[in-house]
Amino acid sequence: MEDEAPGNGTGNAGAMGKKGVPEWLNSSLWASSSSPPASASTTAAACLFRSPPSPKPEAPKRAPIPEPGSPPSPKPEAPTRASIPEPPRPPQPPSEAPRPSVEAPPDDRSPSRLSQEEVSRQSQLLAELSKKVVNIGELRRLASQGIPDDTGIRSIVWKLLLGYLPYDREFWMQELAKKRSQYKAFKEEFLMNPSEMARRLEESAGHKNEELETGGRGFLMRSEITHDEHPLSLGKTSVWNQFFQETETIEQIERDVKRTHPDMQFFCGDSSLAKSNQEALRHILIIFAKLNPGIRYVQGMNELLAPLFYVFRNDPDQNNAAYAEADAFFCFVELLSGFRDNFCQKLDNSVVGIRSTISKLSELLKKHDGELWRHLEITTKVNPQFYAFRWITLLLTQEFNFVDSLHIWDALLSDPDGPQDTLLRVCCAMLILVRKRLLAGDFTSNLKLLQNYPQTNIDHLLYVANKLRGSSAG
Amino acid sequence: MVLVLAIGDLHIPHRAPDLPAKFKSMLVPGKIQHILCTGNLCIKEVHDYLKSLCPDLHITRGEYDADARYPENKTLTIGQFKLGLCHGHQIIPWGDLDSLAMLQRQLDVDILVTGHTHQFKAYKHEAGVVINPGSATGAYSSITYDVNPSFVLMDIDGLRVVVYVYELIDGEVKVDKIDFKKTANTQSAH
Repeated sequence: MEDEAPGNGTGNAGAMGKKGVPEWLNSSLWASSSSPPASASTTAAACLFRSPPSPKPEAPKRAPIPEPGSPPSPKPEAPTRASIPEPPRPPQPPSEAPRPSVEAPPDDRSPSRLSQEEVSRQSQLLAELSKKVVNIGELRRLASQGIPDDTGIRSIVWKLLLGYLPYDREFWMQELAKKRSQYKAFKEEFLMNPSEMARRLEESAGHKNEELETGGRGFLMRSEITHDEHPLSLGKTSVWNQFFQETETIEQIERDVKRTHPDMQFFCGDSSLAKSNQEALRHILIIFAKLNPGIRYVQGMNELLAPLFYVFRNDPDQNNAAYAEADAFFCFVELLSGFRDNFCQKLDNSVVGIRSTISKLSELLKKHDGELWRHLEITTKVNPQFYAFRWITLLLTQEFNFVDSLHIWDALLSDPDGPQDTLLRVCCAMLILVRKRLLAGDFTSNLKLLQNYPQTNIDHLLYVANKLRGSSAG
Repeated sequence: MVLVLAIGDLHIPHRAPDLPAKFKSMLVPGKIQHILCTGNLCIKEVHDYLKSLCPDLHITRGEYDADARYPENKTLTIGQFKLGLCHGHQIIPWGDLDSLAMLQRQLDVDILVTGHTHQFKAYKHEAGVVINPGSATGAYSSITYDVNPSFVLMDIDGLRVVVYVYELIDGEVKVDKIDFKKTANTQSAH
């Protein structure tokens, strides 16, 4: 099985002596094609959290696993899982007692749609969520393994991970009510146009306006305006002036919202659902831009908002789903608080900016796979900015299909130190998984590959990313 | 919230070289959705300038306009309001409110925008409202030399219109407003 011997004669004689490929990476287990390792890696992933595995003993196990056929092999890999339509699951509100067994899937696409390990994960998550005070460390640990789809758990877990919901279940109701009414106030404050504002002021001041139909003739009464409040005002404090200055931002937001996930019915199309969702996204982004004049709106924020809103809107709890907009707003703010520096152009070259993050990725790759690093950056001169910029600023939402990116976000959000570390590890893992192709390619083919990253098994990817945690090169 | 600019009687270049600087600094593209121009621009350059402020430009012919193809009257609907446009030199006596009311009934509009007198007026009668934005350059009229530059900006919001009157008095821009609304879409009684 050791056909890809280390030092794969790419002509880099110098590399062989120094940092070879780490031993654990050598197993064909990490080959980039998705199907054979898929089933193995599930069990591998399952084993990971029970006892640290060594790759070699797995290899012989691989043979028997695909044989039995039905349970693990139609074990849906991430891509096919996405294509299976949502079976109607009974809603699982977190307040209910945990259900230890999985519901029999209503459609019998495969006898056990969830593998054993997923079933246990789901029940563990439910158990954790039903406790009075959630143990956030435990929740993070469970979430980092992935949250089962279609169960509505993800909505609550993400809200907990992002700090929107307090850990003590008792305070959920009041905290939610408070935040939701705060959002409502924001909407009233920021989404009004100056005409309406002027009208409200008038009404509160008790002015009557002329009615056209009261008959009679006469000159219409003129009244003075106060504070230079007319539509053509150029004053800095004029609401009209501010309104017009913001139209550019608002137009940009509208354009981006219209092109968010054009392939998804949820976001795009003529249905009233899509329109109302777009409207909600728009409101959130406009309010965020107005509340943060330093950063306003930058293209790409819509991509970070979309998964949050999608997950919350699809919460099986109708009440929560109805307030998805408010919840998504606060979670978006929280998520962005760690990443806002990436969006600020002035900080690009600073220690916290995007360039420095990209160079951290570079360092990470160098540490774990020096040969690949050298080949990429020096031999083929693929500057990481060409591919990593989008990976990092958009948190990998554009590299995988929607369902896969939700899984990746499970892992990212569960990191107690903030998503950035996990993000960099996942990016590094992405590079390592296609190393064979990268090492064989030149600038053009490598760039093409990295900018259109091939579909992968996400569990596998996350497993590799996890392996990179803290380990030094082998 | 639709912003409609009512402007006219500029008489460039014959009686005035250009709009006052303070007006020009306020009239920037991107804010106004429609322009109703009563006429007497008089030359193409002024037409192009107004077109640059807003692509939706409506002009009626004044007696000194170089382009003879502008219509005598124009009507259009903006939101809940029907607006009419006419230069006004055709209506005799010039500036007579009863005669203008006749034209308004004829055109069947809620708001009639007319000019020629170079004096700002906002007048209400049974058939609707007449608004005369005056002369934006302060050019002398057929009647008087004593003219203050003025124009009008209407903010049409549902059934309510706020008319902002911009006048240049002693070198300073003075802005007033007039507020009126109509009850519902009533049919014309005539």
